[in-house]
Amino acid sequence: MQPSEARAGSIYDLGYRNYDGLRLGRRHAITSLYWYTLRSAFGIGRRASSKIMPFAIVIIAFIPAIGQLAIAAIVSNVEVYTPSNYFAYIEVPVALFCAAIAPEICGRDMRQRTLSLYFSRALHRRDYVLAKLAAFATALLFLTLLPQVVLVMGNGLASSDLWGYVQDNWAELPRTAASGALIAVMAACVCLAIASQTPRRAYATIAVVAWFLITWPIAGILVTEIGGAGRLAVFISPFEFMHGTTLWIFNISPATDTTMDVADYPLWVYFLTSLAYASGSFAYLVRRFDRIAA
Amino acid sequence: MPILETRGLVKRYGASVTALAGLDLSLEPGIIGLVGANGAGKSTLIKILLGLVDSTEGSAAVLGYDVATDGTTLRQYVGYMPEHDCLPGDVSATEFVAHMAQINGLPRSAARERTAETLRHVGLFEERYREIRGYSTGMKQRVKLAQALVHDPRVLFLDEPTNGLDPAGRDEMLDLVSRTGTEFGISIIMASHLLGEIERVCEHLVVIDGGHLMRSGPIGEFTANTGTLAVEVDGDAGALEHRLNKVGLTAVREGRLVLVALEADTAYDHIRDACDDLSLGLVRIERRRQNLEDIFRPAGLNEEPASAAI
Repeated sequence: MQPSEARAGSIYDLGYRNYDGLRLGRRHAITSLYWYTLRSAFGIGRRASSKIMPFAIVIIAFIPAIGQLAIAAIVSNVEVYTPSNYFAYIEVPVALFCAAIAPEICGRDMRQRTLSLYFSRALHRRDYVLAKLAAFATALLFLTLLPQVVLVMGNGLASSDLWGYVQDNWAELPRTAASGALIAVMAACVCLAIASQTPRRAYATIAVVAWFLITWPIAGILVTEIGGAGRLAVFISPFEFMHGTTLWIFNISPATDTTMDVADYPLWVYFLTSLAYASGSFAYLVRRFDRIAA
Repeated sequence: MPILETRGLVKRYGASVTALAGLDLSLEPGIIGLVGANGAGKSTLIKILLGLVDSTEGSAAVLGYDVATDGTTLRQYVGYMPEHDCLPGDVSATEFVAHMAQINGLPRSAARERTAETLRHVGLFEERYREIRGYSTGMKQRVKLAQALVHDPRVLFLDEPTNGLDPAGRDEMLDLVSRTGTEFGISIIMASHLLGEIERVCEHLVVIDGGHLMRSGPIGEFTANTGTLAVEVDGDAGALEHRLNKVGLTAVREGRLVLVALEADTAYDHIRDACDDLSLGLVRIERRRQNLEDIFRPAGLNEEPASAAI
């Protein structure tokens, strides 16, 4: 029978070679899972439709930075968007990105029962959590940090005195990096903890959206309308305490009559709240995947 | 050196469910069939050996590595093909198998090379860039086998590898399993409910029942000749049974067959003479072989009414 006549799916005996090369072990397994997850967060290696949502949201997050660069190219010394107030413009894209991508990071493996393949390898269950979390936080940096890097570089290049600009803004660079990284890690931890509750993508997406969008008006109403103990509600809204964290990092006071202004807590409390959410969610994720059936 | 050793392996789920109850096993390299009814403990045993669940008591070692203390090292050298679906639908076979190769510790370039070879080996070379969601059940089984083989394991755990395959695909998969075990030097532990498959492929059989080791030995021991002759005649089998019992043999009817205890070689002569006297056409006489199904037949059905020898 000619090869062209062989029916589809036939098994061909073309020999088998044993593998005598390197086996790089657990660390390589972790980095492999990290890169695979990061690529999958942006739909790379998947069909075109998987890329639309993540790339569209990232582009939206870059619009303020690009707008500021356009303004700086025409009018010097006008800074509408700065690293210190950038989070206020990207908080909704961050929420959308988390709602769209977090359910895919862990939920896909739970839904398709791929966990048994991972956990029967050199990878430990905690390695899995670490790799997934690191990959998702890295993906979020494309929204929380990269636009601000573009903003700082663009403003510097557009200024008439680049060296003077660097000297004036030197202190802002570590603050920008810290704010972007902290928001990314915090959002990644909490959103993965929420999304890991169910393998169903729709439920996980709704839960993440609810955490961002439903808590926001509730916090606003409780803080501004009820006051007193109701001011504590500012800590249930991620938009509020994440924004408060960036304000604390940049040492800026909240705008007058905003929810944070009315709640009147010191800004470092928002930073501690973010840390508490991140560490609590991380501990929960570890526990969840320690016990999950594979 | 044994590829698998367990000592007093116990697994309890809660206070009431005991999946494994002090299992002691020692298996040499080869193709090993693992059989047992649902809930017998096969899957639990495989999961313990792969580190997916912890044992409650006892110890287990695969390739000399203790599964509890050296599990991370061990799992670089084993492959696992689960019974259930475990494949992502939205990536190609190449993408997924190469990823699993890297998770198994292979460098990126080696993973790509081994992926192409392994997918060709399992018969998916032409379709390897298509999304897995578009594959037939049989093709998905091949991808599952490929991801288990891609890193060249020393031991392969296969859980119902022919699930969902059509007869031709089943034959090809069993041939592939057989070649993997015999030609490539990879030991295989294959759990299956289909005893015909186990009989066809495996060299050694482990039977587990209720978490206990029921029996373990070379497959030949399970299919050895019995001391019974099966006689098929063209005519009244009842008359033959009666006649044989009358001349002192122990005979029993089983459908169209007459089963005769082979207590001496003269039994053949008596059967020939009885057929001649009764004018029956003798279709065949054969030594009956034990069948793997006999192991799982309820005790009442194995008891033969006329004689324990039959």
